[in-house]
Amino acid sequence: MSETVLELEKLSKSYSLGKRDVQALSNLNLHVNKGEFVAIMGPSGSGKTTLLNILGCLDKPTGGKVLLDGVDVGNLSEKELYKIRSSKIGFVFQTFNLLPYLNARENVELPMEGTKKSKSERRRRASELLEMVGLSGREEHRPQRLSAGEQQRVAIARALANDPAIILADEPTGNLDSKNKHEIVRLLADLNINQGTTIIMVTHDSHIASQTERLLFLNDGKITKEKQGFHLAKKKFTCPYCGIKIQLGDAVCPSCKKKL
Amino acid sequence: MAIMISIPAGVVANQESTLNLTENLGNTITQTEASINQTLTQIDCSLTPSFAGFGFGNGNFTRGQFGGGGDFNSGQFGGGFTPSEFGAGPFGGGGTNAMNESLYSDIGSIQGVAAVEPILQVSEGHNVTTERFGRTFTRLMPDYVIEGIPLTSDLVDNYPILPSNITAGRNLQAGDSGVVLLSENNTRFFGAGVGDKIDILGQTFTVIGVHGASGVEDRQTLYMNLSDAQSLTNNVGYITSLEVFADNAADVNNVASSISSLHPELSVNTAQQRLDQLQALQTSYNNALENAEASVGQMQTTAFGEIVVAVAATSLIVFFVMLYTVRERTKEIGTLKAIGFSNGTVMSQFMLEGVLLSLIAGVVGIIIGVVAAPVLSGLLLPPLTQFGGAGTFMRASAFAPSAAITVTPELMLIVLGAAVLLGALGSLYPAWRASRTKPAEAMRYE
Repeated sequence: MSETVLELEKLSKSYSLGKRDVQALSNLNLHVNKGEFVAIMGPSGSGKTTLLNILGCLDKPTGGKVLLDGVDVGNLSEKELYKIRSSKIGFVFQTFNLLPYLNARENVELPMEGTKKSKSERRRRASELLEMVGLSGREEHRPQRLSAGEQQRVAIARALANDPAIILADEPTGNLDSKNKHEIVRLLADLNINQGTTIIMVTHDSHIASQTERLLFLNDGKITKEKQGFHLAKKKFTCPYCGIKIQLGDAVCPSCKKKL
Repeated sequence: MAIMISIPAGVVANQESTLNLTENLGNTITQTEASINQTLTQIDCSLTPSFAGFGFGNGNFTRGQFGGGGDFNSGQFGGGFTPSEFGAGPFGGGGTNAMNESLYSDIGSIQGVAAVEPILQVSEGHNVTTERFGRTFTRLMPDYVIEGIPLTSDLVDNYPILPSNITAGRNLQAGDSGVVLLSENNTRFFGAGVGDKIDILGQTFTVIGVHGASGVEDRQTLYMNLSDAQSLTNNVGYITSLEVFADNAADVNNVASSISSLHPELSVNTAQQRLDQLQALQTSYNNALENAEASVGQMQTTAFGEIVVAVAATSLIVFFVMLYTVRERTKEIGTLKAIGFSNGTVMSQFMLEGVLLSLIAGVVGIIIGVVAAPVLSGLLLPPLTQFGGAGTFMRASAFAPSAAITVTPELMLIVLGAAVLLGALGSLYPAWRASRTKPAEAMRYE
């Protein structure tokens, strides 16, 4: 039986808007197993970001339970929550949210600041992660010198810095062009398959969502539909230049040596 | 900010320095007064100086009028008023006019006169040029003052014509010639001591002894035989003043009247008159001192007020800058919290930024202060006439070191310390606010 990494029990969240209460999430139940790649879709205002904020311990529910690795995070203090955010969760944002005055490596090192890792360990880990997301040699570049796709790669490397149990991606392809969009999804799928990282991704793009293995449809704060996707990592790929079979993670065709 | 703090602090420091100078002058007056009290039978006679009306009025501070103990002309007031600078004729100075010695031989026969001491006093120095506020000022810096006194056994044995405080060697004696009695300042200038031979205006003299100055007035005076001084300075037959000793203190006024009748061109002052003048001067100094104290108090109050305003303004500036920064970087704060930064880490980061910002401003302020302080000192210090009763000695001290604002290392440390403190103070609330930002709300902020 698969190990549960995230469990929601009758999760509710309401806001006060003047004298009116707005129910953002209502009685949500959800199990996410370790190593799953889940996409959440839904129209604007359906509660996607609210759900992601609660899953990421950035916000607290007004009802129900959120169990992350078996721990009910709804009852944790602010101090315990930042430790959870630091060690168990990695965030990827639509607008990347890199610090403009830090270079790529320093941005990736940032989540490791409060950990016991030494400066050299942090540096080495950041370089490894940047290499893993295909940004080897771009460590010293500041965000403004990187393309949107490269910035999102840095953000993914930053999310992986503390080896989190789960990555929460809030429309990670929302600000990218078509080519970069697919590269980022391919990178996330590769992480999911090869690193075993659990990923929950909010997206508006049905094509992108269909490339995950599980799709949740959210409407008016409730999960209205759930279906299996076609996991990108399990798809058969061929090189567009020479036509031979290639792996998902291949950046260069092993046959014709062209950049994919 | 740093400039605002450093300037009033500098003003106060230098005002206190000026106050010390004034106090020192008061002490000198007291010393001179004591000296004059010892020679109540003494009458000074000299020609009215050619520069009458400038600064010291009727030449009240010239060697000739204060006699043995009353020369205020060299060094005391920071230069600018030295005998040779204003001197006349072949003497190149002395603060008085040249007197033909033979014209005054009849004074000795006036009834009640016990003795007459003709004196020749000549200053030697060099010009010093300084630049302030884009203007060039030249003043004469005295090197030494030659005082020739007649070394007759009658005068030497019976009257206080020689310095009394001999610190090395011996005093001049009747009949001495080719020898000099140096002051301690002179020994440093000539680099010589007792027994050494020194060159004065091309002639060689043997140092017979060293006198400790009885006051600032004779710190640069070297004594020698009158005839030696006259031939050395090419003033044979000329003197700059006469000291007349009365038979007794009761005859002093009569003798003074007789001298004035016989030689109306002479400025005649008895010891009592000098004492009265000094007491008047002391009153003037006391008034100046009170003015200075009041001025310092006023300046301190003003400076304190300025510092309070500067501190408040600086804190507010840092406060608003940091508040603006926190607002502008709300999303960044949200991101930091999302990736695991604690409230304390966020707060300390913003506090550190505030302190660094303030510290950099402090360093820039110090650099500007070091450059601007000398210029601003001229604008900020009170008018000089405020200290001198009738625009007198302060004119000479206008370029004394005490009149300049300087940025000292201590002041720099205070400024940097204040910068750190104010930076921390000003960024405290904004940093706290940043740390309390809810990450979910911060992430929504655009």
